[in-house]
Amino acid sequence: MDSEGTIGKYELPPTKSTFGTKVKKWAGLIPSYVILGLWSLFTIFTILWVIASSFKTNRELFQAVWSLPSTFRIENYIKAWETVKMGQYFSNSLIVVLASVIIVLFLSAPVSYILTRVKFKGSALLLLLFIAGIGIPVQLLYIPLFMITTQLGVINSLWGLGILYVSLSIPFTVFILSGFFATLPKELEEAATIDGCSDFQVYWKVLLPLASPGLITAAIFNFIFLWNEYQVALVFINDPDLRTLPLGLYALSNAMQYTGDWVGLMAGVVIIMVPTIILYTVLSERMIAGITMGSVK
Amino acid sequence: MKVRKRMIFLFLLPASTLYLVFFLFPAVWAFYFSVFDWSGFGESKIFIGLGNYLELMNDDLFWTSFSNTLKILFLGGFITLAVAFFMTVLFSTNIRGKKFFRAMIFMPNVVATIALTTLWAFIYNPKFGLLTNFFAALGFEELSKVLWTAGDRVFYAMLIALIWIQVGFMVVLLLAGADKIPFEFYEAAKIEGANAWQMFLRITIPLMWDVITVAVVFWSIWALKVFEFPYAFFGITPPTQIYTVGIYMYIMGFGKRDPIYRLGYATAIGVLLLLVVIVVIVFLRRVMRREVYEY
Repeated sequence: MDSEGTIGKYELPPTKSTFGTKVKKWAGLIPSYVILGLWSLFTIFTILWVIASSFKTNRELFQAVWSLPSTFRIENYIKAWETVKMGQYFSNSLIVVLASVIIVLFLSAPVSYILTRVKFKGSALLLLLFIAGIGIPVQLLYIPLFMITTQLGVINSLWGLGILYVSLSIPFTVFILSGFFATLPKELEEAATIDGCSDFQVYWKVLLPLASPGLITAAIFNFIFLWNEYQVALVFINDPDLRTLPLGLYALSNAMQYTGDWVGLMAGVVIIMVPTIILYTVLSERMIAGITMGSVK
Repeated sequence: MKVRKRMIFLFLLPASTLYLVFFLFPAVWAFYFSVFDWSGFGESKIFIGLGNYLELMNDDLFWTSFSNTLKILFLGGFITLAVAFFMTVLFSTNIRGKKFFRAMIFMPNVVATIALTTLWAFIYNPKFGLLTNFFAALGFEELSKVLWTAGDRVFYAMLIALIWIQVGFMVVLLLAGADKIPFEFYEAAKIEGANAWQMFLRITIPLMWDVITVAVVFWSIWALKVFEFPYAFFGITPPTQIYTVGIYMYIMGFGKRDPIYRLGYATAIGVLLLLVVIVVIVFLRRVMRREVYEY
């Protein structure tokens, strides 16, 4: 990624600037600033508006849609967290998503390592088979998975949801991690073996630590994706107490059509956004680098 | 270097087991279910061969869903990539705050779909929504009274929101491709007397071709299976105008508020969707294959 004022890896050549060329240069940039600025402003504005609304009363919201709340009431949050059980859903989501992210990394890293670093007959085909899952529409799997999870007795449970989350995240995780392992220099294993590492130590002590940027990227992506997803949960979770946060918010937004409690819904929206936006604020560079890593050489 | 077979086996076993049991096997099993008339999980299955597929061919609602999905794929894809490309060009100037703008434009991609549908429900709300207020404030009485999500308009209202989300993702992808083109190429072209359009056509597009291909493939896979945003866009029961294949399949299998449980029929829809994904990917790989320029 580049810092401002460069294109590609190359500094722009210094231009002898007179006042005239400076003005010209600035004028040429105006469309960029205006369009990119307005687009960014729209996103910032809508998010700030949701946050502001979540501190209002419904009456305040309808009377003055644009204004800031007269006082910052946290009643909406207390109500969402306790009465509407967002607190419960938050912890359901946190447990299932964190466990799934950790497990999927634990399972996918060895696969990616073996299939990219230890070539054997059929390893390329096997890698392709793992990644092919990205193209399979998840909807196709619902009915067979419904049968399987019912048979195993894990349907309508957070355990079952976690197993599905892990399984469904394998293709994408293998895709990201195999991209990382493939870029590490070939001599690493030889050097480590000469130094007396066993085969397992080569993986655990040498390759895996070097692949940690890939592991972090895969972890962030899986966390954000699973934290936000609701369609798998919609099919496999029936019990209201087991809802994940997006499923809870979905139910709340449906109920809102009858209750008319917009501000309560906005509080729910803020609760669901906070963890991913914090992650994003801290790690956006890492994420953006991750998107481009697999696809741009 | 030799790694013992046992280690290969142990490293592959856990993930392979899960992937096989909860992903590949269900995908294959679905083909089997799709040839039965099957009206509920406890019910018995009646073999009807290709009956479900034949019925689908005459099912208007399926065709509505299918054409909506294709509209998202082609129309949505074209607009998204065009806007993203245009923004990439804007980004490739000397502006300050590149990282900030990029981060803001990408932001909707990290926010939960349900939060975004709520946001857009408010934007389009006819009584006190953002658009209504915006046009009223500017004095456009007519525009402020438009019901943005009424009738057939709801699909395009939804599509605009989808594009707004996806543009950010595509900008990040395309920008990474644009950033690696050496600046000297443009300088040299300028000296040779090339204009901006020629440089775009002869330098930018060919050198970004691999990234463009990835962007198109990503979009296609994503667009064909899109479910979450349109399903939640209109509240509890999505109107048929915004049905996608994914939504129609879900509704045939599990119903809206009341179960429908046409399980064989629903899986047949899923199988067709998979076949469409395969056809599109094979087609794209053929059409988009070009010589890769090494530089």
